[in-house]
Amino acid sequence: MLEWLKSVVSDPDILSAVRVTFTMAVCSTGIASVLGITFGLMLERFRFPGKKIVIRLNRTLMGSPPVVVGLIVYLLLMRRGPLGPLSLLFTIQGMVIAQTMIITPIICGMIYSYLRRSAPSIREFAVTMGATRWQTTRLIIRELRKEIYFCMVTGFGRSISEVGAVMLVGGNIRGRTRTMTTTISLLKSQGIFTEGVALGILLLLMAFVLQWICDMLQREEMEHENY
Amino acid sequence: MKKLTAAFLVTVMCIGLTACGGQSEEPAESEETDAAAEEQTEEAAPEDKGTLMMATTTSTEDTGLLDYLQPLFKEDTGWDLEWTAVGTGEALAMGESGDVDVVLVHAKSSEEEFVAEGYGVERFPVMYNDFIVVGPSSPIEKTDDINAVFTQIINDQLPFVSRGDDSGTDKKEKGIWEELGLDPATDPNYVESGQGMGATITMADEQQAYCLTDRGTWLKQSQDATLDYQLDIVCEGNDSLLNQYGVIAVNPEKYPEVNNEGANDFIEWICSDEVQKLIGEYGVEEYGQALFTPNAGTDA
Amino acid sequence: MKITDLEKKIGTFRLQIDHLVIESGRIHGIIGPNGCGKTVLLKTLAGIYTPDRGTIDYEGISPREITMLSQRPYLMDTSVYKNLVYPLQVRHMRPEEEKVDALLEKAGLLAQKKQYARSLSSGERQKLSFLRAVIFHPKLVMIDETFSNLDPESEALFMEMIRKIQEEDPITWIIVSHQLEAVRQLCEVIHHMEKGSVVEL
Repeated sequence: MLEWLKSVVSDPDILSAVRVTFTMAVCSTGIASVLGITFGLMLERFRFPGKKIVIRLNRTLMGSPPVVVGLIVYLLLMRRGPLGPLSLLFTIQGMVIAQTMIITPIICGMIYSYLRRSAPSIREFAVTMGATRWQTTRLIIRELRKEIYFCMVTGFGRSISEVGAVMLVGGNIRGRTRTMTTTISLLKSQGIFTEGVALGILLLLMAFVLQWICDMLQREEMEHENY
Repeated sequence: MKKLTAAFLVTVMCIGLTACGGQSEEPAESEETDAAAEEQTEEAAPEDKGTLMMATTTSTEDTGLLDYLQPLFKEDTGWDLEWTAVGTGEALAMGESGDVDVVLVHAKSSEEEFVAEGYGVERFPVMYNDFIVVGPSSPIEKTDDINAVFTQIINDQLPFVSRGDDSGTDKKEKGIWEELGLDPATDPNYVESGQGMGATITMADEQQAYCLTDRGTWLKQSQDATLDYQLDIVCEGNDSLLNQYGVIAVNPEKYPEVNNEGANDFIEWICSDEVQKLIGEYGVEEYGQALFTPNAGTDA
Repeated sequence: MKITDLEKKIGTFRLQIDHLVIESGRIHGIIGPNGCGKTVLLKTLAGIYTPDRGTIDYEGISPREITMLSQRPYLMDTSVYKNLVYPLQVRHMRPEEEKVDALLEKAGLLAQKKQYARSLSSGERQKLSFLRAVIFHPKLVMIDETFSNLDPESEALFMEMIRKIQEEDPITWIIVSHQLEAVRQLCEVIHHMEKGSVVEL
């Protein structure tokens, strides 16, 4: 069992899939977090005409099938598409664009609902403390950091587990855009199940480690913050 | 006994129907119509026998051949044909695990191995289509020399999209490289899509790359695509590019629960002269040429 | 501080103050039944609500010199110490450790200095938020019902601290409470509110 796992983990194709998956997931989660948190904060902070429609649209996008997003990004990036000259189709950058489009609404929607619950009382408190607008925003972000971590982990989890959009936009090119999930899909199509299961275990393990790191971060911060 | 009951029921139904319809028409002819209907119906709708599960390659589904044959098969034998279209590797794996009753694939040596290991009963050749190389018409000029094309791709480091999914087409392509003693990995523009034929052709079009495909998928894809492919056939007509399909029943001695009766009916049916003729005509109307050439009964 | 023609609507409730003078350097009490608009008035004065109409002349007190203690004070998701020094941090002031410790000591919270603020008991929370409100030397402090939830010992402590501040460097206080006794003992001026307005008795 251990030997088998070792041989799977040292396989260059699998290593490359892990690398591609991580590069893609880290980049897209990073960009989506910045965008999603900013949009979420703005959505909670400002009133503007059509806000309800924006919120409803965001909720719809939260549940949009990744494959549809993948198709849209594909059409944008294809050689004869509007962004064709950038040559981003079948590249990790292209996959990051698709993933960002999938994850941003999720993070934005989650953050928005957390904010709606707790931002008003934090804001009142900040006013009584004499905090400036900027300090208030920073305070809100700091007070909601656990929720933000949670959103980011959720986004990351979505990103590493997604198949449809990365298959379409990335093209599942061996050694370049082949992720862990598309590798599993390919292995299955070849009737090879053992390696597929091994990759699946690896993915689950990663999700577990991620969760654990997140927990550690929070705990450490608590101890740190004690003074 | 069962058959007799069924025949009786069908007859009664026919008489009833004709009687109903006949009232407004000419009652004088009703006896004759009865007899004709009886005969016709018995031939056209034999008893419903159940489901036959087949594993096959994406090309037979992508070309629409199976959709065309399925209702005819049901009509002729009473079996409901269902299939899952996957790569040859996976199709054979499904047969090896007894998940399907019959396989229709195109990788002769793997098929023979499948039979030799006792998973399949016997392999029967059914038909062939041929492989072609598609890609931009420059720098490769149209030829029938597959070796020259493949050599030029490596020498000039031209972009090439391989399926890389262990499918029949993929095995064919790998075989050509091997025969020529070339290593495609030395071409930095050689990529493996790990996807089906259709997706791979689309990718080749996007990248303006070359790829090896079966003619049937190419014809159907290039006709149906929303945006016209900017690819041409750059190599065709070489004997070594023939793609032979074989059909094999999964061995009931290994998996007693498989539908061997249905599998045998299917093999007999698809190899029959009548169906072979239908296969030879399929696609002529729509694409101007046949997608498959039938050759059951040969030793291909 | 002068309030003229102030109006603020929250849902169906309407706060209407034609004229109210809050003399600086004194302790004012506001009493009145539930729902008479005491909290709305305080929140409007604190700048949490913007008035629909009317003017508030703070007479030289800047918004950053005003603070308010809510009925249920908000404690940040961090330690007691960090909560206490937050108003200083906001003003880019360095906390002086001895003074901070002395303050905590007085309120009996020194042992909990490094503890997680939200694990404090409700009485301790009130004390912490009181300290946090006065640590940056504001000019106007408003207290919303805080006295209602205190045990006698803490109440006495609060009163003592308020008196001490008034002896050293008098500031303006507005205290809203049900507990007439406490308000009478402490406050120099008492206003009555009813149905969104200040009434003279």
